Amino acid sequence: MDTATHMLRTGRRGALFEFNMGLRDLSMSLQRIGLAWSLAWHDIVSRYRGSILGPFWITLSMGLMVAGMGVLYARLFGISLHDFIPFVATGIVFFGVISGIINEGCDTFVHAAGMLSQTALPMFTFVWRVVFRNLINLAHNFVIILGVLIYFGYWRTMNLPVAVIGLLFLVINSAWIGMLAAIASARFRDVPQIVISVMQFAIFMTPVFWQPARLGRAHAFLVYNPFYHMLDAVRAPLLGDQPDAHTYGFLALMALVGWALTFTVFTRTRRRIVHYL
Amino acid sequence: MTHQVSISVADLTIRFPVYGVDAKSLKKHLARVTVGGRLGLSLAGATEVTALTKLNVELRAGDRLGLIGHNGSGKTTLLRALSGAYEPDDGMIDVHGRIAALLDLSLGIDPSATGYDNIRLRGRIAGLSAKEIDSRMDEIADFTGLGPFLSMPVKTYSAGMQARLAFAAATAVEADVLLMDEWIAVGDSDFQKLAHKRLLNLVERAGILVLASHDLDLLRLYCNKVMRLEGGVASPVTDIRKLSELLAA
Repeated sequence: MDTATHMLRTGRRGALFEFNMGLRDLSMSLQRIGLAWSLAWHDIVSRYRGSILGPFWITLSMGLMVAGMGVLYARLFGISLHDFIPFVATGIVFFGVISGIINEGCDTFVHAAGMLSQTALPMFTFVWRVVFRNLINLAHNFVIILGVLIYFGYWRTMNLPVAVIGLLFLVINSAWIGMLAAIASARFRDVPQIVISVMQFAIFMTPVFWQPARLGRAHAFLVYNPFYHMLDAVRAPLLGDQPDAHTYGFLALMALVGWALTFTVFTRTRRRIVHYL
Repeated sequence: MTHQVSISVADLTIRFPVYGVDAKSLKKHLARVTVGGRLGLSLAGATEVTALTKLNVELRAGDRLGLIGHNGSGKTTLLRALSGAYEPDDGMIDVHGRIAALLDLSLGIDPSATGYDNIRLRGRIAGLSAKEIDSRMDEIADFTGLGPFLSMPVKTYSAGMQARLAFAAATAVEADVLLMDEWIAVGDSDFQKLAHKRLLNLVERAGILVLASHDLDLLRLYCNKVMRLEGGVASPVTDIRKLSELLAA
């Protein structure tokens, strides 16, 4: 019987070889990107199986949060609803994507232990699974954003293509942080707790609920806050605004350095991850 | 390029770092660094276990290898390595052919999902496209013999029913290399017959079977070769007819 399928596994053969095997893992995962999508879809379906609203619970709870927070904080800060509700809606939803990918990233490999220990599936597949799962969540929440933007008239001034580019930057950067968290969490079980604390802290330090203009745009809290740049790259164009001048440079550099770091860690730990679990 | 179905393992050594509870705690890890503990291996805080030592095996189309050995002798580790999950620390594994590993019944099984959903999920993991799965669904469903139970959540299944589902889904892929770890013994006699037929079918198509088992009759039934593992060291591959001599050795 003839076959075209081939699997070769060898011991360590130097840094370059390990690097190539890491790249191979990445390219295999992209060839079978549909699998990551199926797994993500399955996750969403099974999370809401048996509930009446199904995944629209995501939409409903987010809608309530936006309405409540929007009205309360607009009053507290003395800002008009027209300015504040779209701001806070986009803020909560897109920060949710960032923190979702990073927080759930911690469980990427831990949850896949069964599959990783008896198949040759690429590791990256499970990273994309977390990313896709959060994008599916986003799609449900996007209904709210769309409603808010139309209701308050922002659809006339928004720049959707630029916002999509911003979202791309946001996802690329969250993904490497998530993957780094995934590797670290597999090895050290304290890491998920640390990550959750950091993300909780970040939501208050980042202009999700408060407007950056009140702090002055050049404040160090903003300039050196990666989450601010990730968020602003999507939010500003949706609200008919321009992101900060440094934002794109910051995000591009961060993606480059971040992925280089993550990939290096991955090539060094790739063989070991399955034993960590 | 096509190639004959084959498994070639040369000087395979697999070492297992065993990370104890201590080693998994970041605090202990950091404390060790701050007090200036010895770096290197001791830093990892992991004990290394050598699960397989310099193992050599050559299998060609039509070979059915039985693995015997005590618990912890490295049978499962070898199967996992052949499935591509464990990377060798030394040596080489070269497998030509589509691999189906039946090592764990619960692979990709979501207890709250229905039987159908689980067949789909497992098929996707095994490398089938959604279309391919749909076109084979009737055949797979038929093979499980679970009938209307397939639309019920898998958590309501008995162990034997789960075994049927898993076996049907995993062997639905036309695998060239089948790796099995014992559990075929689950399931009732009807299922045993069906599984038997399917395994013979694979053998007829001249695939390769690697089966780890403690059941000598089972090994005599399916295998034509046998290898004994002891503490991670393998005996030479011998003919199944010399099984008793191998055991006596």
